[in-house]
Amino acid sequence: MKVLQIAINDLRLFMVNRGNLVGLLAIPVGMTIILGIFIPSGRPSRIRVDLIDHDAGEVSAQFLQSLRQANSSIVLCPLDNDPEDFCQMEGDSTLGTEQALERVREGDSLALIEIPPGFSEQVRAFEPVRIRYVSLESFSAPSFIRQAVEAALTRVNGAVIASRIGAAVLPGSIVDEGYPQRVYTRAAELWEESPASVDFVLSAGEAPDPSSAPDLGGFGQSVPGMGSMFALFTVLGGMGILVGEKKQWTLQRLATMPITRAQLLGGKILSRFSLGTLQYGVVFAIGVVTGINFGRDLVALVLVILTFTLTCTALSFALGGFLKNEQQAAGVTNLLGLTLAPLGGAWWPLELVPPFMRVVGHVSPVAWAMDSYTSLMFRNGELQDVLVPLLVLAGMSAALFGFGIKRFRYEL
Amino acid sequence: MQSMVVTHDLTKTFRRPDGSEVQAVKGVELEIHKGEIFSLLGPNGAGKTTTISMMSGLLEPTQGDALIGGHSISKQPLQAKRLIGVVPQDIALYPSLNARQNLEFFGKMYDLRGNDLSGRVEEVLSFIGLTDRQKDKVDTFSGGMKRRLNVGVGLLHRPELVFMDEPTVGIDPQSRRRILDTVKQLRDEQGMTVLYTTHLMEEAQELSDRVGIIDHGEVIALGTQGDLIQQVGEEDQLVFAVGDQAVDSGLLQQIRDQVPGVTRTSYDPPGPGGESVTNTSGLILIQAKRGRKALPDILQITNRAGVEIQSVEVREPDLEAVFLNLTGRALRD
Repeated sequence: MKVLQIAINDLRLFMVNRGNLVGLLAIPVGMTIILGIFIPSGRPSRIRVDLIDHDAGEVSAQFLQSLRQANSSIVLCPLDNDPEDFCQMEGDSTLGTEQALERVREGDSLALIEIPPGFSEQVRAFEPVRIRYVSLESFSAPSFIRQAVEAALTRVNGAVIASRIGAAVLPGSIVDEGYPQRVYTRAAELWEESPASVDFVLSAGEAPDPSSAPDLGGFGQSVPGMGSMFALFTVLGGMGILVGEKKQWTLQRLATMPITRAQLLGGKILSRFSLGTLQYGVVFAIGVVTGINFGRDLVALVLVILTFTLTCTALSFALGGFLKNEQQAAGVTNLLGLTLAPLGGAWWPLELVPPFMRVVGHVSPVAWAMDSYTSLMFRNGELQDVLVPLLVLAGMSAALFGFGIKRFRYEL
Repeated sequence: MQSMVVTHDLTKTFRRPDGSEVQAVKGVELEIHKGEIFSLLGPNGAGKTTTISMMSGLLEPTQGDALIGGHSISKQPLQAKRLIGVVPQDIALYPSLNARQNLEFFGKMYDLRGNDLSGRVEEVLSFIGLTDRQKDKVDTFSGGMKRRLNVGVGLLHRPELVFMDEPTVGIDPQSRRRILDTVKQLRDEQGMTVLYTTHLMEEAQELSDRVGIIDHGEVIALGTQGDLIQQVGEEDQLVFAVGDQAVDSGLLQQIRDQVPGVTRTSYDPPGPGGESVTNTSGLILIQAKRGRKALPDILQITNRAGVEIQSVEVREPDLEAVFLNLTGRALRD
């Protein structure tokens, strides 16, 4: 009960300061809307898919061409790398299997397609042959890459079947040696000219109508990004309030009252945690209004919000013990907020930054939260897909709380 | 007589940033009786606040313990804290809340609820004279009003024991008078026990049933005012104001050696003293038996030394004299 009363009192102290309300409502809402409008889409318009072609034959070339046609967003790495090194090959022109698997695990590419040696010959001979497809995506989730691969294989198989049928139905006397190949080539050409195809659009929400509505795809990035950043700011701002309480001696006064240390700290933690989730709520409400896709596992989404806010709260407690005045607290809040947020991908997707920056970025809890939002909101993932980031955030929280509570002193 | 507070070997050692240690309170042994006003008198930095902080559970003693109403503050902190009301030296209030909101919140921390809480808040507001300002934010209050509210918070749950840590620091004489009267009321009308710390001898003299004198973390004398003054004997204190003239130790030595009855001399230069006292003039302080009789001889020596005496005051033995006698320093040094 006292935990709740301390938390409620802290929230009241926060709310009576109008400056805090501006920080909680106006600035986050404004920035989320501005970024949401000016970022044309929350995700990049191209997708990295790693390719290892051990065959390098005619059929595999045909398959890859079909794959490109099936989904124009797919960039086959390193084959289709551009001068800006979209594939992030950093000078390498080939990929090894281990390297490619690591890139998939790290999220540097969304999938690996490995074509075995002798693929072309085996396909032509109508012998069983398997392409290896590796992705972190849940197999229960619809995958546009997997769908594209299947579509391309259908074309290849279709062309082969056409050539074999063509050779089988004509009398042997008029079928020369090159006939099946000609039928295959023609069938493949016809596949390419096939009038019906899918135009894949990468958007967080419903496909926008460019003629009437503004592109709201950017909200898919700005809502979770700004939500995480401002939750971090709001919670870290609690360091200054705690320092202020020590300075005005109200914290010490509470310590002389019949309250346990756990109740007192629990109240302080609960108030910061509540403000952090409230901050998330404010920003995510913009997502609701703009109709972004929150994914299909809302429980997992809420868990990410709560766990990340808990990590921010723990961070504020761990650092709070080192601070001597409100100015220091404000400085540390701004410093951390403005480094951890962009580093963790709150301002732009981490897929846009070089691989080493992605690794460095995961020092920031924001990166783990953003990974989770990407899985849930862009890839339609489920709880099992965000278990690792959630565990990392929970681990960070435990370590930071342990350190912060041990270092906690009532005096400055 | 029943004990309200008993401390045993109460000690606090702090570690400095450079790793060295400083003992702020050294083995304090105290017994405070139920229903008395007990003053802990000592200069700034003597260890008064650290002692009271350990007794109220804010600081953990490095060694020793304090029993509050029979409950160990270390082992049974919640039971002990329920008996205590603390009035800290700092204004420990939420400035952005009004007086009533402050009292209600802190009252809840003492487990007051509903009608009990609102009734008690009304009583306290009336007791500290802030009923008509209860809806005003604390940051609009004068220093005296904040002090009174600060006292009020400590009285909310009708504690048996009130710790008041220099509650009159930095306020106007009128508000100080009001607080001193309040302290006496708490004892006389509500039967509360009060532990009052101060560096002002006058306050200790006016309020206290018993006094403990603390210096450098040690209680160096303890008893009723009569007991303590008796320790000094019948010595008077002679105070000579000398403005900003230089007084060398040779002159003080000469007075000690040549004037019959003089037992101790010291020089207190002009400048800031304690928190509320500023010396505009240098003072020669002399302890002497039959001080008035020694006066002509002292004036003759200072005259010969070329030191012009601007005023002379003869003080009967008091707690200041006791402190001077025990430490060789004035309370505000």
